[in-house]
Amino acid sequence: MEELDWVSIKSGILDMARKRGAEVARIGDPALLEGAEPGLRPSELLTNVKSMIVLGGAAPRAAEWQSTRVEVMETTGTADRMTALGSAVARHIEETYGYYAMNVPTATDQDDKAFLDFKAAAIAAGAGTASLAGPVLDPDHGFLYLTVILTTMPLPADGPLEQPACPAPQCVDMWEEQGTTPCMAVCPIDDGGCLGGEIDQGLVINRRYDAERCRDRVYHYWTPGYQAALERALDESDARKRKMILYGSFFTRTMWSITYSGVSQGQCFECVRACPVGSEQRALQ
Amino acid sequence: MTAVEGDVEETDPADLEVTTNAIKQVGINAGSTLVGVAAADAFNEYVPEGHRPADFLPGAQSVVVCASLGPTNAAWHSPNRRLMEITGYDFRENVSSIVVAEYIEQNHGYLAMQAPALPTSGQQPPLSMMLSAVLAGLGTRSIAANIILNPTYGLMFFAAAITTMRLTPDHQLEENVCPARSCVRMYEMEGKTPCMAVCPADEGGCLDATIEDGKITSSFFDRERCSTRAMNFGIRGHIKQVEILTGIDDANERRELIYSDDFRRNMSSIGRYKESVSQCFECMRVCPVGRYRRKLK
Repeated sequence: MEELDWVSIKSGILDMARKRGAEVARIGDPALLEGAEPGLRPSELLTNVKSMIVLGGAAPRAAEWQSTRVEVMETTGTADRMTALGSAVARHIEETYGYYAMNVPTATDQDDKAFLDFKAAAIAAGAGTASLAGPVLDPDHGFLYLTVILTTMPLPADGPLEQPACPAPQCVDMWEEQGTTPCMAVCPIDDGGCLGGEIDQGLVINRRYDAERCRDRVYHYWTPGYQAALERALDESDARKRKMILYGSFFTRTMWSITYSGVSQGQCFECVRACPVGSEQRALQ
Repeated sequence: MTAVEGDVEETDPADLEVTTNAIKQVGINAGSTLVGVAAADAFNEYVPEGHRPADFLPGAQSVVVCASLGPTNAAWHSPNRRLMEITGYDFRENVSSIVVAEYIEQNHGYLAMQAPALPTSGQQPPLSMMLSAVLAGLGTRSIAANIILNPTYGLMFFAAAITTMRLTPDHQLEENVCPARSCVRMYEMEGKTPCMAVCPADEGGCLDATIEDGKITSSFFDRERCSTRAMNFGIRGHIKQVEILTGIDDANERRELIYSDDFRRNMSSIGRYKESVSQCFECMRVCPVGRYRRKLK
């Protein structure tokens, strides 16, 4: 059987992904994630998985970041584009090369657990590095939405990046001068926010993150908001007040957010807004 | 060949075929795996007024049907069964049908629109995508939940564009795809096919049928039972939970239900409908039609 040129095939697949909108396209070794807790291992999703293609892109546009109306960023998410791209790449691999490929669902499994740790996959592939703020950051583009394709195709892995994107040099300077970073300053865990940590010798240490508080703010509308509003409405004994809750703009927005979940899932981007990594991409005329 | 009638522009049949094929290629380029064409008046024999192409687009001549494959083969093979519950697919056929409609309007000057397929009242779709697929020669009905099976690919997902443009319609398939030869043999030996065996109507399942001389002579499909399983989460599940909630007097009990995983999964399914259309694929998992195509490296 003719030996396939895996380097060329890899290059073709990643080029295709870039042409269709991926800013970052890298290959990771799924074996690096096999030490994860049960339920988050690549081989539990695809037997004999050999490669993990991680694509990053569809970040908010520069103008959206600059908008003076917070509602713009709250309702213009574009994460769905990455999901569609991942499906297209998976289909391309199966139809062109005859290897199994799947786009890992971005929705959650039972008990709200992810099918795969996308951040760990991105780090393993070098599609970014971990950050103090939480999202994986690409050194050039900063925050990107991710999609992960698992395949039995044995593509050469790129591997993790050698230099972390976070903390950026500006953040190290700020830490040394003020004892905080832009993301911690905008959302301090000891002052009602979600983020805490230290920087030592240019590395983030002792990171603290209040996931519950963050979720409450990022998903102010969407399913958690809907659950809270519905509970309040059902607990309300006064029919007129109940009607006010149900027809109120908060309840309506939660419904919009759920039905348009692809474009309206996150309502807080403040830590990323303050992040200098990739900020030059957001500075236009 | 299905007849095309009505007040249509005279077109050279040869050119019409070339034009039809070019339009099909637009659908393929937009992401469809297959594209077929049905004559609009072919629906008249099968569905009542109100469900025919011309009821949605007066003067409709053709229905262009776009088909795609849904979950990838890897998703079918995943050892995690819950993956198929929410991996869904990417609705490429819908995008494709819209692209086809736009192409026809912009390049040929005929009216074209995406066909309405979501039920607006009860369970009946305004225009049946299943019938559209059959009339466009893309497949035939099967024992398994009446799902349309394509002889090459098996289960496919369909969307369509209705247009006032006259196109060359495809032939309906002459042979029924279901039952497959292996299913007929199994039926002769065991009295059931793979899909009936995995979901037998008389044992709490949804499917039953009889086969004589290699053809389906009767079939039974418990749609209500199937829908509660295939659409375990989603709009129906949420409606049911709201009904239960309004009947609970105790606030703590209500809270328990509202914050339960089941409730969250219903909301997630509504919000991410594209990723969570169906939660049961068992009859299709065992169906041999197109299965060889699912076997990859």
